[in-house]
Amino acid sequence: MKDRRIRATLVLFGLLLPMLVAAQGERTQPQTPPAAPSRAPMVVLSGREIAVPVSITPNGPLFGLSPIAAALGGEMTTDESGESVTLRVGDRDVVIAPGSAIVTVGDVIISLSQPPTEGEGGLQVPVDFLRKTYGDLLGYAFEWQPETARLVISRRGDRELGVSLDVVHLQGMTTVVLQFPEEPRYRIQRLPGTIVVEMIADRLTPPSPPRVVQDPLVQNVTIEPQQVRIQLADGVQAASYVLANPFRLVFDVHPSAAVVVPTRPTEQPRDLPGIRTIVLDPGHGGSEVGAIGPSGIQEKELTLQIARELAGKLGSTLGVQVLLTRYDDSVINHDTRTAIANQNKADLFVSIHLNSSLGAGAHGTETYFLSPQASDKRAAQAAAAENLAQEQEPATSEPVATADSAAQDLQLILWDLAQSRHMAESQRLANLIQRELNQALQLKDRGVKQAPFRVLMGAAMPAVLVELGFISNPEEEKKLQDPAYRDQLLDALARAIGRYKALVDGEQAPPPAPAAQAPGAQPGRPPSGGGAAPAPPQAPKPGAPPARPPARPGRPA
Amino acid sequence: MNRRAASFVLGLALALLIGGGLWWWLSSRAGGGSGRTAQEESGQPAEKVAFQLYFPADGGLIRIEPRELSVPSAPKERVRKVVEALLAGPQTRGLVRPFPEGVTVGIVQLSPDGTAYIDLRWPEHNEPPPGGSTEEMQRVYSVVNSIVLNVPQASRVVLLWNGFQRESFSGHLDLSRPLTPNQALVAR
Repeated sequence: MKDRRIRATLVLFGLLLPMLVAAQGERTQPQTPPAAPSRAPMVVLSGREIAVPVSITPNGPLFGLSPIAAALGGEMTTDESGESVTLRVGDRDVVIAPGSAIVTVGDVIISLSQPPTEGEGGLQVPVDFLRKTYGDLLGYAFEWQPETARLVISRRGDRELGVSLDVVHLQGMTTVVLQFPEEPRYRIQRLPGTIVVEMIADRLTPPSPPRVVQDPLVQNVTIEPQQVRIQLADGVQAASYVLANPFRLVFDVHPSAAVVVPTRPTEQPRDLPGIRTIVLDPGHGGSEVGAIGPSGIQEKELTLQIARELAGKLGSTLGVQVLLTRYDDSVINHDTRTAIANQNKADLFVSIHLNSSLGAGAHGTETYFLSPQASDKRAAQAAAAENLAQEQEPATSEPVATADSAAQDLQLILWDLAQSRHMAESQRLANLIQRELNQALQLKDRGVKQAPFRVLMGAAMPAVLVELGFISNPEEEKKLQDPAYRDQLLDALARAIGRYKALVDGEQAPPPAPAAQAPGAQPGRPPSGGGAAPAPPQAPKPGAPPARPPARPGRPA
Repeated sequence: MNRRAASFVLGLALALLIGGGLWWWLSSRAGGGSGRTAQEESGQPAEKVAFQLYFPADGGLIRIEPRELSVPSAPKERVRKVVEALLAGPQTRGLVRPFPEGVTVGIVQLSPDGTAYIDLRWPEHNEPPPGGSTEEMQRVYSVVNSIVLNVPQASRVVLLWNGFQRESFSGHLDLSRPLTPNQALVAR
């Protein structure tokens, strides 16, 4: 009897034990960890406590956003799918996706210390979110005191900021640039005929003496401690954007007439002083190897070799100064490449590349110039305005800045738009290069194309990127390593650049390309002049106007 | 004694069998989240939708592969599904996957202004795969075209690599700004 009881107890225990373990396992796998118990944290704004739900998590405190937005200003809306919340702070939309540490502030992506989550009273955010939104945009300071569990919100003292004003009118478009020593906190209001830049937490020190504006599209610009007023002429519209290092608030003002995307070059180049300096850019370099051929040859090696050989040929045949963006196997930043060209006042920029593709069968040559998409809507507008002006206006229809001073202004203030005013000429150069390559090499003509290539964006001169063949294609890889074939290729490039120079200089163009020769045959070479070795390019000087483009705001650290 | 011992062993084995079964059943209920799909997690019903995915193809182009995907209604989840389908590779001969095996989708964001942010992750590879300009465009625009031309709420795309926005993936395309589709690259 006693044994039976023992057996029954054991069986019952054996049944219950796994169930207890399973139930425990279920309890120890919660969907979300509960917040640690609150120690009565509080939020204090200007010495007064405000009711804000606070959750203390292992990664730091989270604060209810709704009451903070109500106290500091900001409208919250939830998108239709309920997946993201948009908070309007100043003139920026801040998009928050609960559960994601990535947040967008305007066009800028920021990464938070921990993701905002749904909690007591709705969406809760970490303190760095508050600093990067209300702090950076509206001038609030947020101090979290863990020992007392208090978040102290205070208004930063108003700063006195200097501001300088530039107004440039160039080929039908006026650019107004407000330059500040550091980023101000502001909002832009658009009133009929007037744009008001209102300071939120800063005071401006107007320039002395005040700048007098005489411009066909901008009637006046007045700078007061609390605001800048830009009065526009009738029938114009303005687009605004910012540039960094130093911080500049830029307004492109142009007639309200329809804007068209540039598609065809002008018949004759205008206002070009001639081709005296050419910068060749051997693609890639260093750890950035570029395309890799089946035999293992790397694009960066061949592009440097071709650029060196082409530099010698151009120097001897055209009598121009030829510089390379790199002379060895080093990593050169894209923007530095065009900065070298700008700093040395180059008249042409030719980036030399070799291609590769996914899949089979790609072969041939192609030449690129910048696509309007590359520099987005505002660059397209600027380029379109330029082309429109070139097509519609006689050269002396209205006072414009001289080519040199205008170019300098552009380099100074509008790096991001540098290439947009040269796209028509870039296309002309691309057409000539592609034509000569086709005639000389008789490869597949992949044509003249446009793409948002980074290395072309900052060039303040006609600029192209030429793809001289696919090293992913075994046949073309072999050809490109053949010195005789490369000579043909170099001759074609030299002829194309020579023809472009002749057009620009107003000289007679050299004769068209000879018929293609069989591989290995000695190609027709221009008379050799010995071609002095190209001098090293002038390195971009820190702080010099076009030496480096401004760092773009909003890059994730 | 022998009968008692045999009964005891039999009872214990039976108890372990039943208990183990209960444990497995409860555990599968508790840990079921790891195998759930995005739409199940978001609580949204999935529906079959016809998509046109763009994959790299011969000749340096990208080509459409019609595909029916089971997707939730939320635009952001549709974007994620499209990219996941791209990264899984094509089902049509002659097309190739845009990124090497092992590349996965991290965070996906869709801003109200129509900008889709796609974080491509390739653990243990700091740099995206190298290549020529055509190769880079095939990779990038297979994603950009597939998203923008299939999800009406997305009008442009920002690609991140391992959580960071880069100037470029392979040294050509400017990826510091949102990209819009490239129809010139599509095989006719």
